[in-house]
Amino acid sequence: MTTAIEMSDINQIYGKGIAEVHVLHDVNFKAEPGTLSLIIGPSGSGKSTFLTIAGGLRTPTSGSVKVNNQNYHDSSRKELEKLRLNDIGFVLQNYHLLPFLTVRDQFKLVDKVKKNNNLSTEELNTLLKQLGIDDLINKYPTELSGGQQQRVAIARALYPDPSIILADEPTAALDSARVEEVGKLFSDLAHERNKAVVIVTHDLRLRAFADQMFEINDGILTKAAIDL
Amino acid sequence: MFLALKEIKREKLRYSLIIGMIVLISYLIFILTSLALGLARQNTDAINSWNVNTVVLNQDANVNLSQSLITDKQVKDQGLTGKDALIGQISVVAKEGQHDKISSTFLGIDNNQFIAKNLKLTSGHKMKKSHEVVVDDKFEQSGYKLNDKIKLNNDDVAYKIVGFTHNAKLNIAPVIYGSLSDWRTLKHALPQTEASAIVSKTKKLDVSTPLKAYTTNAFIEKLPGYSAQNMTFSLMIGFLMVISLIVIAIFLYILTIQKLPNYAVLRAQGIPSRVLVWSTIAQSLILVLGGVIIGAILTTITAFTMPAAVPMAFDIPALAAVGAGLMVTALLGGLLPIRSVIKVDPVSVIGG
Ligand SMILES: Nc1ncnc2c1ncn2[C@@H]1O[C@H](COP(=O)(O)OP(=O)(O)O)[C@@H](O)[C@H]1O
Ligand SMILES: [Mg+2]
Repeated sequence: MTTAIEMSDINQIYGKGIAEVHVLHDVNFKAEPGTLSLIIGPSGSGKSTFLTIAGGLRTPTSGSVKVNNQNYHDSSRKELEKLRLNDIGFVLQNYHLLPFLTVRDQFKLVDKVKKNNNLSTEELNTLLKQLGIDDLINKYPTELSGGQQQRVAIARALYPDPSIILADEPTAALDSARVEEVGKLFSDLAHERNKAVVIVTHDLRLRAFADQMFEINDGILTKAAIDL
Repeated sequence: MFLALKEIKREKLRYSLIIGMIVLISYLIFILTSLALGLARQNTDAINSWNVNTVVLNQDANVNLSQSLITDKQVKDQGLTGKDALIGQISVVAKEGQHDKISSTFLGIDNNQFIAKNLKLTSGHKMKKSHEVVVDDKFEQSGYKLNDKIKLNNDDVAYKIVGFTHNAKLNIAPVIYGSLSDWRTLKHALPQTEASAIVSKTKKLDVSTPLKAYTTNAFIEKLPGYSAQNMTFSLMIGFLMVISLIVIAIFLYILTIQKLPNYAVLRAQGIPSRVLVWSTIAQSLILVLGGVIIGAILTTITAFTMPAAVPMAFDIPALAAVGAGLMVTALLGGLLPIRSVIKVDPVSVIGG
């Protein structure tokens, strides 16, 4: 079985000279398909930086990243783009949905760019039902609450059926009942659909769904016991 | 196209405002172009109707028809062929009892030469003897009729309108065709004066001093005010083009800047920037195409309702060229926002 994500000796330094900030220190991380990895840390600890590097959006100052055995370092911009489109689903903290597209059209846009291997209509409907947004399909993002938008953004990230799901604070706008549902959804994706799910968050409510858990503090990633 | 159309559909008000702006600009450009063409034609209609290639003037006339005089000896030395014709020009004010005075150009011509022979009348007949004139239909529009007797300048002699002709204008003034001898009288010229100019269908005509041959184009360029007028219109149209470029660029830029965070997310999700760039181009094209089409419809309506006296020429090829120019302008206007679309950084939306 190939490792979904393998990050070795990652360092990230922002700025130069006096303004230099060392955000990630020798980070090593591995995620296997079929597991949900949870990375918990306070604001400013380097979670988002970690995720952008894992997702190939940012080249780290040093260290290497391999996704599905493809080394980012050896990949062109185009190949990385393709990788993001096909293999990685981003669920972002700022769930910017295109304001002028209805929920339905947000998915249609993916169809326009990625013609094959997206969720089937039934699968999408099941997902939307699971997320409790199946009756919002013709609404525009501005007509939705923050939590509803967040759930649409999750569905949007899952629609291309990526093998890896990277989520940045996916539960920020959700109430506890929804957190349970979304946590369950992510763990089902890992366990039933064999995806590698990586969630960075400061939300301790997601602990219960993790297969492996890390803490990140001032850019230092350490393995944590699940039953914290 | 998908994104472009969906957005326009969602933001109807915003985009109708931009289209409205482009409609006004393109309408203005179309009307100005028609006016420029119309006025240009009123400068040259008469000359164009003769189909001549060369205009021979006195070399001291500074390429000005009304300053040029040619003597009978010079004409004889030149030796006219069937392709040559004499014209005697003088500016006159025509009046007739109850009608408005009309500032006109009297052109004396020889009945046996091609200008008189080829003269196309809309009514009446050609002049057969002196004191008979054929006039431009501007006179008809102003209420003059066949057999009206007009007086020219302060002369007491009455000239009888025996025919009307269409599109006979020189330097904006309607033309009164009469005989060369009448012209000589009006001009108070010496008896040996034969005409103001020789016009010829021959391309390269040999003449001897003091005569000088000009191509018809060179002659037209030197018509009083003609070049200045064309330049003014070209400048105005050029400025409007630039303004529309700026309007489109600014609007698209603002609209695009607002969408950059969304575009960054799409880029993070692996949507190629080609899709976003094409959407921006498609939008500017749709906006301008929409605006230009509505502008063209308004122009057509205007063309049909405009009174004949307004000097406008709705020339389809010219207007199509101007419309195409606007499309190019729109594409250029789209370049600025496209730059920021290409440069959008997907990382910028992740964090916080
Ligand atoms: N582009 C950047 N340039 C400089 N400093 C940055 C940049 N991005 C993030 N940082 C800094 O790096 C640290 C970690 O940021 P981030 O990864 O967003 O943490 P988190 O997501 O855990 O809140 C913060 O101190 C932040 O100010
Ligand atoms: Mg963050």
